[in-house]
Amino acid sequence: MTEFSLADANPEALAEREAIAAEPGLWDTLQDVFFGRPSTMIALVVVLLFIVIAVFAPWIAPADPLRQSFLQINKLPTWSHWLGTDQYGRDVLSRLIYGSRNSLIFGLLSPVFAAICGTILGVTAGYFGGVVDRVISRVIDMLMAFPELLLAILIAAALGGSFWNIVVVLTVAFTPGFARVSRASTLAVKQEPYVEAAVAAGVRTHVIIFRHVVPNILAPIVVLMTLWSASSIRIEATLSFLGIGTQPPNPSWGNIIRDGLTNMFATQWPIVSGGLAITIVVLAISIIGDAVRDVLDPETDQ
Amino acid sequence: MSKPLLEIRNLAVEFGPLKRPLRVVHNVTLAVGVGESVGVVGESGSGKSITALSVLRLVPVPPARISGEIVFAGRDLLKLPLNQMPDIRGKEIGMIFQEPMSSLNPVMTIGDQIEEALLLHENWPATERRRRVIELLKLVGMPDPEGRLRAYPDQFSGGMRQRVVAAIAMACNPKLLIADEPTTALDVTIQAQVLELMLDIRRRFNSAILLISHDLGVVAEICERVVVMYAGHIMEDADTRSLFHNPRHPYTQGLLKSVPTLTETRHRLYQIQGTVPPPGTIRQGCPFRPRCPVAMDRCAVEMPPLLAHGPTHRAACWATAPEVGA
Amino acid sequence: MAKYLLFRLLDAVPTVFLVLTLVFVAMRILPGDPALAVLGASADGGQLEILRQKMGLNDPLWLQYLHFLSDAVRLDFGRSLMNDVPISRLIANNLPYTIYLTLTSVVMGLIMGIPLGVYAATQRNKPPDSILRIYSLIGYAIPDFYLGAVLLVVFSLNLGWFPINGEGVGFWDGLHHIFLPALTLAMLKSAFLGRLTRTSLLEVLGRDFIRTARAKGAREGRVIYRHGLRNALLPLSTGIGISILSTLSGSVAIELVFNRPGIGHLLIDAITERDYPVIQAGVMMFAFFVILVNLAMDVVYVFVDPRVRIKS
Repeated sequence: MTEFSLADANPEALAEREAIAAEPGLWDTLQDVFFGRPSTMIALVVVLLFIVIAVFAPWIAPADPLRQSFLQINKLPTWSHWLGTDQYGRDVLSRLIYGSRNSLIFGLLSPVFAAICGTILGVTAGYFGGVVDRVISRVIDMLMAFPELLLAILIAAALGGSFWNIVVVLTVAFTPGFARVSRASTLAVKQEPYVEAAVAAGVRTHVIIFRHVVPNILAPIVVLMTLWSASSIRIEATLSFLGIGTQPPNPSWGNIIRDGLTNMFATQWPIVSGGLAITIVVLAISIIGDAVRDVLDPETDQ
Repeated sequence: MSKPLLEIRNLAVEFGPLKRPLRVVHNVTLAVGVGESVGVVGESGSGKSITALSVLRLVPVPPARISGEIVFAGRDLLKLPLNQMPDIRGKEIGMIFQEPMSSLNPVMTIGDQIEEALLLHENWPATERRRRVIELLKLVGMPDPEGRLRAYPDQFSGGMRQRVVAAIAMACNPKLLIADEPTTALDVTIQAQVLELMLDIRRRFNSAILLISHDLGVVAEICERVVVMYAGHIMEDADTRSLFHNPRHPYTQGLLKSVPTLTETRHRLYQIQGTVPPPGTIRQGCPFRPRCPVAMDRCAVEMPPLLAHGPTHRAACWATAPEVGA
Repeated sequence: MAKYLLFRLLDAVPTVFLVLTLVFVAMRILPGDPALAVLGASADGGQLEILRQKMGLNDPLWLQYLHFLSDAVRLDFGRSLMNDVPISRLIANNLPYTIYLTLTSVVMGLIMGIPLGVYAATQRNKPPDSILRIYSLIGYAIPDFYLGAVLLVVFSLNLGWFPINGEGVGFWDGLHHIFLPALTLAMLKSAFLGRLTRTSLLEVLGRDFIRTARAKGAREGRVIYRHGLRNALLPLSTGIGISILSTLSGSVAIELVFNRPGIGHLLIDAITERDYPVIQAGVMMFAFFVILVNLAMDVVYVFVDPRVRIKS
């Protein structure tokens, strides 16, 4: 059961073996990560399927997700309602399919917004330093002390739920993460001789930032974006479950479960299927996120 | 000659796939007598550290594959069940490591860390253990031992930490002390103190010492016999005097020439051409051949065995082989 | 050490101030007219005026801000708009449940997660390790309220082993009521803590002093627990801090699923009823919690890591 690596037996041997092993190229890693692991392939298929369903929801959904029918209340799965109906007689499968649009939009939109805001803040703080840095860092540190979900709940509590409010909530919740990463990367890049040389040569600040700093911090930002995309789907679902996200009657995976819970004595299908949808999609995106991280940012291990 | 305390026979250590193994130690055979001190010298990657760690079976198997015999006090340690090794480690064989800065547990007081060795091997009451810890700290030259018991490693300098590591290794009066580059990470003045400490330990307890070092000077100071290793092979094995005055292997000769001395005035230090080949790159013949000034055709095909140059001197070289031995 | 703690305490003051300011901005300025937000667009002018008077909205903004700050510092949150109860009493009634649930969950999560992580670390790259990896991936993906709902449906609704909602009376009944909600949060935390334990333990087991311990003759169990885990506690204690906070945020939804009293439930109810002062108080309570836990973690760190102690 002894478990340690060659390195602690003989650091020299390891150093030598590392020297022998040629550095694998990006393409090799990419192939390895995406085609070498079946889990990543499956995750990729799941996410593509999810995107197709979300985009083509009106053509795929068997029924109108908002149409209530008092004759069809609390039906268990049948051929016409694969996942049954809820307490208003709405087709659960159709609500689930339309709900995926919500998740997709928030999953894509908020990480992008947060990445933009966070990178601007982080690069500004890291590049200019001084008072700017201290103020920004202080706010980032304070926000980072909050778990994203709690931050989202608190902001949503203050603002109330509407489409754009949720976007704002998720953006604010994720911005500190991006800001911290891009600030750290900027500080590191700033130390590089070629950047110092460019500064010394009088190259304009915005040119330096866009030519040298931004390309170098792109990798961790992309990694964070994929990981946050999974988080934002989960958090949006939680907010909708709490009633401060997507507002009924519009379907969202979170409020399908919310409605399902108040109706659990009659049918449990909405709860089970809504939750499975969230879990599967979030799982798939985070597996892809891990793969992306392995490709772009191989140094960080878990 | 009486039976040696430690006898390593045909030790081989390899890593990597079975089909293309990466052999880092080849057929190493060496012996350490009771109370004797033997030095193993070589550059980084010569396999000397792995050899030392193999004695305590601290090389993880797998990924390593180890063959040969390591007979200590009559028992082949390599055949012993792994769960019996803890009874030998620290009790009969103590070990000092290269990095004093990282060899101590940062969240345990040094008193507790030394005491742990006693706790594991001696059935003593707490007061007795404490007394012994203080005695050990005095022995390794720690100022104010009583006051330092509750200090943490981070409160000590590298030299002081190495003394603590030595105290741990010495706690149970082991018959053999293995020191893997004990002075490498230390300042020169501290190096001398640690070496003095080892000599002192040896004088007092008659412990045998297996000293691993890349520094010929360090070895010369402490050891009676020296084993020179290169790329996992033993190249030369001789008593210290004979090795320094009459080196028989071109590698040893090169090593000795590259040590700066005060008595000779040379304009440039001698340098052995080339670098140590990575393990696995030379699969046939003598591994030193590409860098050897006196290499012959035979060296490319056949690794020379250790050939005797007198009763206490052996070298693995075709070029300098004595007429009879070849 | 006392100096370090004092410094750390003083350092939290601007953070508290900043949080309060953000809450003020979010609650009083962003909605435009909070009174309108409370009553809705259909409210008539008279009602709005009364409410504005009551909430102090007619004062200049800076005076409102000062009032807000001094109220917050004195922990005077005003009265609920819905039932005119002092909010401090509402909080006092609900807070113990949230703390109880959070702590129980974290302790359960630790009890489940740490052995899991240790075991996976000792079985690196073998089946138990892969199982932990899958467990932690799913633990990350599955939303807490969904897991809670499933457990509720299976164990309370269908099997009837546990009560469906409420908080119970007395210790044992309370335990019976808290088990499922706490288990929900604990399972998710154990996925995270197990993974964290594995990673940090493996990192520690690769360090030199582990070899020293082995060379001393320590057996594997002692090496792992006494030397390995003890050092892995340093990164782990940060992880526990994160766990407490994420459990706290999870408790909001879980209190709703299991219909338990608590600050989260109070907050969500207040949002549904647009009870502004209660929302404000709830938000501040959570924010204070976060600051407090972070502060506590720093203090814990001093005790876990002698190096911090030495330097300060």
